[in-house]
Parts: sequence; C-alpha cells; structure tokens
Amino acid sequence: MQAFTDLAFATLRLTTPIILAALAGLLSQQVGLINIALEGMMLAAAFAAVLGAFYAQHALVGVVAAVVTGMLVALVFAVFVLRFRANLIVAGLAANILALGGTGYLLQVLYQTRGAFAPPGLRGLGTVHIPGLSQIPILGPILDGHSPLVYVTWVLVILTSIFLNRTVTGLRVRAVGEQAEAATTVGIPARRLQYGMLLAAGGLCGLAGAQMSLGNLQLFVYNMTNGRGFMALAAVFFGQAQPWATTLGSVVFGFFDALQIRLQTTVGVPPQITQILPFLSIVVVLTWVSWRRYRARPVAA
Amino acid sequence: MTVTAVVLAVALLGLSPTAAGPNIKKVALIIAQGGLGDRSYNDSGYAGLTKAAQDFGVQIKAIESRDPVGQGEQLLRQAAKAGFDLVITLEFTHFEPLARVAPDFPNTKFSILNIAVEKPNVVSVIFKEHEGSFLAGALAAMVTKDTKIPGINPRKIIGVIGGTKSVGIDKFIVGYEEGAKFIDKETKVLVSYSNSFGDPAKGKELTLAQFQQGADIVYQVAGGTGEGVIAAAKETGRYAIGVDSDQDYIAPGHVLTSMLKRVDLAVYDLVKRLVQGSLKGGAVITLGLKEGGVGLSEMKFTRHIIPKAYVDRVEQLRKDIIAGKFKVTDITQK
Repeated sequence: MQAFTDLAFATLRLTTPIILAALAGLLSQQVGLINIALEGMMLAAAFAAVLGAFYAQHALVGVVAAVVTGMLVALVFAVFVLRFRANLIVAGLAANILALGGTGYLLQVLYQTRGAFAPPGLRGLGTVHIPGLSQIPILGPILDGHSPLVYVTWVLVILTSIFLNRTVTGLRVRAVGEQAEAATTVGIPARRLQYGMLLAAGGLCGLAGAQMSLGNLQLFVYNMTNGRGFMALAAVFFGQAQPWATTLGSVVFGFFDALQIRLQTTVGVPPQITQILPFLSIVVVLTWVSWRRYRARPVAA
Repeated sequence: MTVTAVVLAVALLGLSPTAAGPNIKKVALIIAQGGLGDRSYNDSGYAGLTKAAQDFGVQIKAIESRDPVGQGEQLLRQAAKAGFDLVITLEFTHFEPLARVAPDFPNTKFSILNIAVEKPNVVSVIFKEHEGSFLAGALAAMVTKDTKIPGINPRKIIGVIGGTKSVGIDKFIVGYEEGAKFIDKETKVLVSYSNSFGDPAKGKELTLAQFQQGADIVYQVAGGTGEGVIAAAKETGRYAIGVDSDQDYIAPGHVLTSMLKRVDLAVYDLVKRLVQGSLKGGAVITLGLKEGGVGLSEMKFTRHIIPKAYVDRVEQLRKDIIAGKFKVTDITQK
C-alpha cells in the first residue's frame, strides 16, 4: 500500500509542470496554433522565478516574475507568428533557442556560473497541508503535502474546461480554431483571441517553470526543463486539445515515468528498457488515438 | 564554416606567445564544454594551470570556444601553429581530431584527459575514479548501519544515481558497490540512471524513490542532475555523496562526502613534467589514490557526525589500495 501511495504521490508531482504546459499547448491549439515554444517559455520562467524569489526574498514574487516572463516570451512569439506571419515551427524553435541561450548567458554574466544556480537563502514555495486530509486513508497521503502549485494546477484544469465549453469567449476561441476566416466573417475578433490565448499560454508555462524551480526544487539548472514542453505537446495531441483528455495524457506520461523510476531498482530489467516506458506509453496511446480517428472517419459514398 | 574559421584564426592570432624568451615554455589549455566559470571541471583545470605558471614561470593561455566539440580540430591545429610547447585539452571528445592533428606537429606535445590517444607526441591522463568511488562506497556502507547518526535507518541499503548507462559512469558505480560490499557483504546498493546530466527534477525523483525503498545515502554520478539528488537529501534529512569537485558546501551536513577528481593536479603535473623535461609522449598517466588524483573530500560539514573509527577505516583502506594489498575492479580495463 505504501508503495502505491508513494507512486501516486510522485505521479502528481511529476505531472504538474507537464499538465500546466499542456493546458498552454491546448489553448494555443484551440486557436489553430501549434505551440512548440512551450519549452522555452517554461525555461525562461523557471529562471525568472529563482531570480524574483531571491531578490525579493519572497517566493510569491518569484511566481509573478515567472508568469510575466512566460507571457513576455509568448508575446514575442505571438508578434512574430501573428503579425509578421513567421512560420510557427521556426518561430517556436527560435523562442526555445533564445530561452536556452539567454538563460545560459545571463547565468554566466550575472553569476559567473554555467551549471546550477542556487543562491543561499532562496525560499521555495513550501508544501501545503490541508487540515484533516492526511487522516483519510489512501487519499490522504496521496493528496496532502504537495507544493501549492499542484493544487492550483487542478483548479486550472477545471477552469480551462469551463472556459472552453461553457463561456461565450471559449466557444468563440474554438470557432477560431476550427476556421479562423469563417469566424472573422461572423464578427469574432480572431486575431485578438489568438493573441489572448498565446498570452494565457505564456502565463501557464510561467507557472510550470515556477513549479520546477521554486516548487519541486529551489534552484535553476541550465536546460532544466529537459523536454517537458514537448511531452506536454504530445499530451495535447493525445487529448485532441480537450482539457480533461489532455490532462489524462499528461498523467499517463507522469505515471509511467514514476513507475519506471521504481522499476529500475526493484526488478532486474536493464535501465535502457525501463527508461523508454513513458515515451513508449505516448507512442502507443497516440497510435491508438489516430487509429480510432481513422476508424471513425466518414466513409466515402 | 569559413567565417568561423576566420574568426577563430583572428582570435588565435592574439595568443601567439612572441614575448617569451627562448627558455620559457608555453602552455595552452583548451577549455571543455561548460566553459570557465563552471565551478567544477574547467575551473579546476585552469586553477592547476595558473598555479603551475606561478611555480614554474611558464607562459600560459586558456583557449575558450563557443563550441569546443564542433571546433575541435581547428582549436588544436591553431594552438599548435601558434607555437605552444604543450597543448592540453580538457575536452574528451577531442580524442578523434587529436589523433589527426598530432602527427602534423611532431615538435609539439599534446595532452588529453579522461581518454587515451596513442600517438608518439600525445600524453593521456586517466583518472582511477573507481578507486575514489570505492572509498565513498565503504564509508556509506559503514554509515548506513549506524542509527545513532541522524537520518540513518537500520536497513543496510545505499544508492547511486548514474547519468547514463555507460562504461564511463559504471566505472564509478562498480567501484562504489565494491567498496560497500567490502565493508559488509549484505549491503544492498540500489542503482538508477537518470538518462540525462542536466535534469535535477529527475535526479530528485530517483533519489526520493531510493529513499522510499530504504536507502539513506545516495551517491550522484550525474552532473547537473545531481543537484536534484542533493536537494532530495536535504529535504528529507538524509545524505548525498557529491562527485568530481567538493560539493559538500551545496547542502552542508547533508552531503556525506564528495568523490574528488583532481583535474587541477593533473594539469599542474603535466606542466611540471614539461618543465623538468620528463614529459614523455605516447604515455598514459593514470592518477589514482596513490597520486592523489582521486579521493574523498575533507568532509568539513559532516566530520563531526561521522564516528572517527569510520574515517580511520577509510583512511586505512586508502593506504591498503595504495600499497597494493588489493585492487579495485576497473571495468574499463576488461
């Protein structure tokens, strides 16, 4: 039982930055933009989070700095994509390279280091203990004692779902994603919604970055996001940009990652095999999704 | 490509050691990935070089590149053309371009670390990381049984996190396991790999999982991923073991010790041999416990919690290995 609750607890922790970035990815997808800049937004935000928390001596300032930074990167990306009509993939790659090189450069210039940056006295977000929750068997030890952003993330999943399915703006957003020109002809401000969703994506990636560098750990390491933005993108494809299905995709990945970490030291399987589990799970699931879509296609008359 | 070459050539023009007298030796040090300021490998090598410059009056130059891996051949060739007597590269991926460049400059001595290149004018330096790791494992195996030490559980389980499943990393891990089993055959060593050297979140997760399985000391052989290993130890009140440089200060009291690799010593020793005229090309210098090239940190923050008997035992083991009483397995020699 202990092993199960440990596994579930780790899954929640591992999944959080991926869910946040995946929500960012799905909002972009909903306005018809494939966002591969998630990784860069997260990384820049993770760096800003440490800086903000360190100089202000307050973790909350770090979170705000992360959100603002994520949105700034998103704004630059949006201007290039929407105003200058840059190729989505090229602009996304550029944003990622800029974030990687930029944070590396600043580390060197400001702190004369190239590896890890963990200023003494840096305060993290800490953990939340909900009174009474830990007393509940099984659920208690799984749900209690996470970083505050873990709980915020699940609230955001619910809010995103309500936004897209139950609000006028949300329905308009989906219309833009379906057919931007048609949406424009009926008076929907497509361009403005695209800017809005990309900025929201930047903010969500900001939270993801803050969770990595202030929530789970209290330090910044060069390239510490390590491909999580792309994992999130895979989850978006898995969930066809629907909030709950995308979240499920993120959890599947997080679960298999938490599982492979434990399999490495419990069963005698070579680490090369266990390490592919999370990635294999994504490949299998994506294949299954596209097979279902293929089966469900309208048959030609 | 041409532009890079021109820029590189211009950059290197400035470092021709023209002002030196005929007897003053000139030494170049090519900085590896990560660059100066990494507070670890490169800085250690450069510190050895500057100390050698003070002690032996040689002229030195550190050569930094934005892309030391891709520009390997140009860096080596330009440095040799610039007239240095000894060109040391800290970048181990230079083994291939070095084998091409070295024969073109028979009057220049080259040196490379962590890998052997068999050319008549190349001196290779190899560290016996397995010996240092053996001591780390031995210490961990003694500490993990002692519940009087804070954060230690009664189970004889310790762990290690490797960056990748590769011979270079397993060399550390096998030495560590051997040291632990030498102290107590029943010590269980949990081994996990992060598959990345720059993912502290993964490092933390792997370490927490090992702690949950009963480990209380985890050795990190995973670069930046290891920051997460140390963070996990600090958070849960248990212990990590650092690697390469003295990482004890990162979480004082929670890094039991660090397995040091004395790159500074290696570079200093190369310059010393050059000045004394004993630098023989085609040789492989191995730096182990005997040469002081590897070893454990001074345990500044943990010495007061580790019983003296354990530290003494480790010291005795170090002496025994140096005396050749037994050998630690080196998996790269198979």
